[in-house]
Amino acid sequence: MAICAVYTTNSLHSTCFVPTSTKTHLGFHQRQVFFYTSGKKTRKSSNFSEISCSAGDANTVVIGLAADSGCGKSTFMRRLTSVFGGAAEPPRGGNPDSNTLISDTTTVICLDDYHSLDRTGRKEKGVTALDPRANDFDLMYEQVKALKDGIAVEKPIYNHVSGLLDPPELIKPPKILVIEGLHPMFDPRVRELLDFSIYLDISNEVKFAWKIQRDMAERGHSLESIKASIEARKPDFDAYIDPQKQYADAVIEVLPTQLIPGDNEGKVLRVRLVMKEGVKYFSPVYLFDEGSTVSWIPCGRKLTCSYPGIKFFYGPESYFSNEVSVLEMDGQFDRLDELIYVESHLSNLSTKFYGEVTQQMLKHADFPGSNNGTGLFQTIVGLKIRDLYEQLVADSKATAPLQATKA
Amino acid sequence: RMASTSSTPEKIAEKVEESIKKAEEACAGDPQTGECAAAWDEVEEVSAAASHARERQKESDPLENYCKDNPETDECKTYDN
Repeated sequence: MAICAVYTTNSLHSTCFVPTSTKTHLGFHQRQVFFYTSGKKTRKSSNFSEISCSAGDANTVVIGLAADSGCGKSTFMRRLTSVFGGAAEPPRGGNPDSNTLISDTTTVICLDDYHSLDRTGRKEKGVTALDPRANDFDLMYEQVKALKDGIAVEKPIYNHVSGLLDPPELIKPPKILVIEGLHPMFDPRVRELLDFSIYLDISNEVKFAWKIQRDMAERGHSLESIKASIEARKPDFDAYIDPQKQYADAVIEVLPTQLIPGDNEGKVLRVRLVMKEGVKYFSPVYLFDEGSTVSWIPCGRKLTCSYPGIKFFYGPESYFSNEVSVLEMDGQFDRLDELIYVESHLSNLSTKFYGEVTQQMLKHADFPGSNNGTGLFQTIVGLKIRDLYEQLVADSKATAPLQATKA
Repeated sequence: RMASTSSTPEKIAEKVEESIKKAEEACAGDPQTGECAAAWDEVEEVSAAASHARERQKESDPLENYCKDNPETDECKTYDN
């Protein structure tokens, strides 16, 4: 099999640049590589024949998002894709249990698809999905690298319902590729491919509270079973997942509130956005004055706050011996439209117009976290990623002719 | 005892229940083993799948679904101007 028929279609959004000189680096875009040529059954051949020209003459921008299961990755992804416009949907007509989300600009792939052991395999070996031995980092690296270079790949599908590895699906190189899962920054080769990385750091107390909210009504679950599940996964989580946060360009920490003494409910949250300094194309957000240390309680005549109120903090800190800027919000909004008051005091948001953060938040008022710092900081990170993408594309457009003449 | 959620698809709800039972058995002897951790990891995976399935179901609006298939009917027609 593996007949690599490739058409260069102009019908797709991006313009297809066919180089006249065969030596330019752009020639790589016209190739398609199959990593799966085993006898596995594949879908209709029509899926194979077209290949998009990725982001015109720019390579795919790759974003990594790391977080544990049940820590809000999917909500973050919905906020992120919304910033780029257009709804993200599973691939049309493919496997109904596919984990992939595709929109006009963004493709989100779930790294669980690179499990090397399926559910039964992990049970036999006595390893969890968090364990590197249950994941195929070679394939992850090869395929992310290929997509970044504008080459479509046949990516396996890990079926979360059956626990089996399903036949692969074709992923075309998008403008923005987001890889989300447990290990996007674990393997140094994959880490090297990331243009930006995010880690969602949920404290144990909040994780427990969220899982109770998620699972308590589920048949068979009890407080004990939720606790046992978290406890059993914790050693592997601490060994393999948590250390990745030192590599992230942005970390969103979710902690119990300090506004209510002894609160453990996980409803009121203290959320910290930790932003690395000195990252190219990424200038951290600041409150009032860049580099100062500021504590701000916006509640008063211009912002309605009920108990326990809202408290902001901003300042420079060090994080794993990196210089970072931290923006913190404790508490929650009562009226989402008043968020504009907070937005007007933040700088470097990378918005296209005044009020865009508030507008994005209002658009998804029903998402979890819309009334606290998780939603606010996820939205801000989404805008920062858009900015980073636009700068990268502008830069590569400026340098592309140079490279062509060199070649 | 809380009532079971009717919104979780039956197939997944059963899987959650079954995986918890198996995890409790696997950990009955020694809770420090890899088998025990793997069993509870399966519980987490299936619970997450159940939550995602509930989320998907919540999002589906009966009228929206109908209009996807029947955009020409009176209740579905929309004009930009």
